[in-house]
Amino acid sequence: MTGAELVVKLLTEHGVHSVFGYPGGAIMPIYDALYQSPVKHYLCRHEQGGGFSAIGYARASGQTGVCLATSGPGATNLITALADALLDSVPVVAITGQVSQAVAGTDAFQEVDVLGLSLTCTKHSFYVRDVADLAATLREAFLLAQSGRPGPVLVDIPKDVQLAPVDYQPLHLTTATAAPDCSGLATQIAAARTLLQQAQKPMAYIGGGVHMADALPELNAFLTATGMPSVTTLKAMGSVEKANPLYLGMLGMHGTQAANIAVQQTDLLVCLGARFDDRVTGNLKKFAPEAKVIHIDIDPAEINKLRAADVAMLGDLKALLPVMAVAGDYSAWQAHCSALKQQHGWRYDHPGERIFAPLLLKQLSERMPDNSVVSCDVGQHQMWVAQHMRFNSPRNHLSSGGLGTMGFGLPAAIGAKISRPQDTSVLVTGDGSFMMNVQELATIKRFRLPVKIVVIDNQRLGMVKQWQQLFFAGRYSETDLSDNPDFVSLAAAFAIPGHSISHKDEVESALDAMFSWPGPYLLHVRIDETDNVWPLVPPGAANHDMMTDLPQWEE
Amino acid sequence: MSNAAKSHQHTLTIHTRHEAVAIERLLQVTRYRGFTLAGLELKPLADLTGLLITLSVVSDKPISLLVNQLNKLYDVLDLELHQAEAGALRA
Ligand SMILES: Cc1ncc(C[n+]2csc(CCOP(=O)(O)OP(=O)(O)O)c2C)c(N)n1
Ligand SMILES: [Mg+2]
Repeated sequence: MTGAELVVKLLTEHGVHSVFGYPGGAIMPIYDALYQSPVKHYLCRHEQGGGFSAIGYARASGQTGVCLATSGPGATNLITALADALLDSVPVVAITGQVSQAVAGTDAFQEVDVLGLSLTCTKHSFYVRDVADLAATLREAFLLAQSGRPGPVLVDIPKDVQLAPVDYQPLHLTTATAAPDCSGLATQIAAARTLLQQAQKPMAYIGGGVHMADALPELNAFLTATGMPSVTTLKAMGSVEKANPLYLGMLGMHGTQAANIAVQQTDLLVCLGARFDDRVTGNLKKFAPEAKVIHIDIDPAEINKLRAADVAMLGDLKALLPVMAVAGDYSAWQAHCSALKQQHGWRYDHPGERIFAPLLLKQLSERMPDNSVVSCDVGQHQMWVAQHMRFNSPRNHLSSGGLGTMGFGLPAAIGAKISRPQDTSVLVTGDGSFMMNVQELATIKRFRLPVKIVVIDNQRLGMVKQWQQLFFAGRYSETDLSDNPDFVSLAAAFAIPGHSISHKDEVESALDAMFSWPGPYLLHVRIDETDNVWPLVPPGAANHDMMTDLPQWEE
Repeated sequence: MSNAAKSHQHTLTIHTRHEAVAIERLLQVTRYRGFTLAGLELKPLADLTGLLITLSVVSDKPISLLVNQLNKLYDVLDLELHQAEAGALRA
């Protein structure tokens, strides 16, 4: 076979049935090998869309996502998606075609140093010089993408390697995976247990690392056994069981007041697979100032990076959480946290006829089929999704966290639908973000993917506008989108039916119509451009110094 | 400069795969994580199976921040921090 055929063979070997990409000169041999192959290729309409679809596929399923692009512009178009996958620790393998080695380094047509370009936004990038190394390199790429802290890996394959003859040697996979072992951590475990026993006001701070370690059952058992209240990051929404009364929601810049106040008061912060990101901590020096810290993570570089840990453990949360489950008597603290939660619940009363996005999203959350996957874009609507929708697994909430990439949502929702065809895929996007990868409507059209698209249209780059209002004296520089296209007509051009609403009393029937329609659907929701996201921790402030829009909310 | 008084010089010896990309990554990470380059020497191992690199950096940040990041690099096989040379720089 050829190197290109070997690539396809290895995809099959790794259980990859779906890939996302876009062809071009330097990757033509691989596209030829894909033709009539068992691997299904989804033609996206921009390589960035292909990259985000691979991310959506991976995040919704826990599998590795695969995307393909040609050399030069194809590969450069992938870069944003790779950076997104790196910052959110998503296992993705990107395969790029490269010009033949005979012309490499001559500024050949569509030649770009993709290895050099991609290195800082992948776990690692490989350039394959010899077809004899191709199989080992691709196997290494899949292993690396999934292992430890997952992330993207790029394999750049020159055209001559794709065309070279090679034999396929099957890999005899050893299925015996070692049981996670934490015996080397006995001292730290003992120290952590002591801290747990001494604590009066412990708080679990849960990040995306927990579900990626496949440790959600262990997490929930740990929370129940210890009776510890908990908060989650954006990426970990859906990790804590709905029935847990001491779960206070998301913390950070747009977190709940209960979460942010309680974290500032805790005397022991148990950080599980999270990384003290600035959107979480606010002013780092003032973050949880009274707290000792237990930090458990799989990535050694996260320990003591931003906040010193009193006890640090590098290991598998699945093994460590059970041995840390020390019950304490935290009844006064539990009562305090419950009271905070009661006192600072969300308010959905909103004057006037216009649609209130938080309420609409709550209604959407209640009406969508069980186990729907919700993808969103970046901005105010993204924060409203995190605040007002409920998820029963982090795999059901796909949000670009670390990179905050507009344009993520639509292709991610496509990837999610393809990885979980039995589940409903819902996209909540903004009028700004939607336009950034709107060409992917063509992918939906071609494959008749029944993605439910909800465009929250405030005719603004709302999140930026909110900051201009609050911190730049209302100077609204370049955030007006009042000349938006007609989104329903736009969808119609891709054979996607849609409907536009602007009044509260239209919401429920419009949601029902969207979910009862068997195919893709676009619901265009006009909201008031003055609605803002609250609470908000202003830059430089401690997390308990939240701005809230009290005048509007108080009756 | 008040910062300079707190800056420390550190020397690391690093064994990497025999790939140019290993050096690219070392320098990228050193720069990005906020460490100033104070010296770099490299030579291939006699059997050409790897590179032996001596990297000196100056920073007011804890050196563990850099060591942890460099240790994660795919091409880094072994890394040693030389405590003896980690004296404070007096500006
Ligand atoms: C690719 C990219 N460019 C710019 C930004 C900066 N940015 C963050 S939110 C935002 C506005 C998003 O507008 P929209 O999608 O309409 O969402 P809204 O905030 O109005 O809900 C912008 C421009 C970004 N996050 N990503
Ligand atoms: Mg908007």
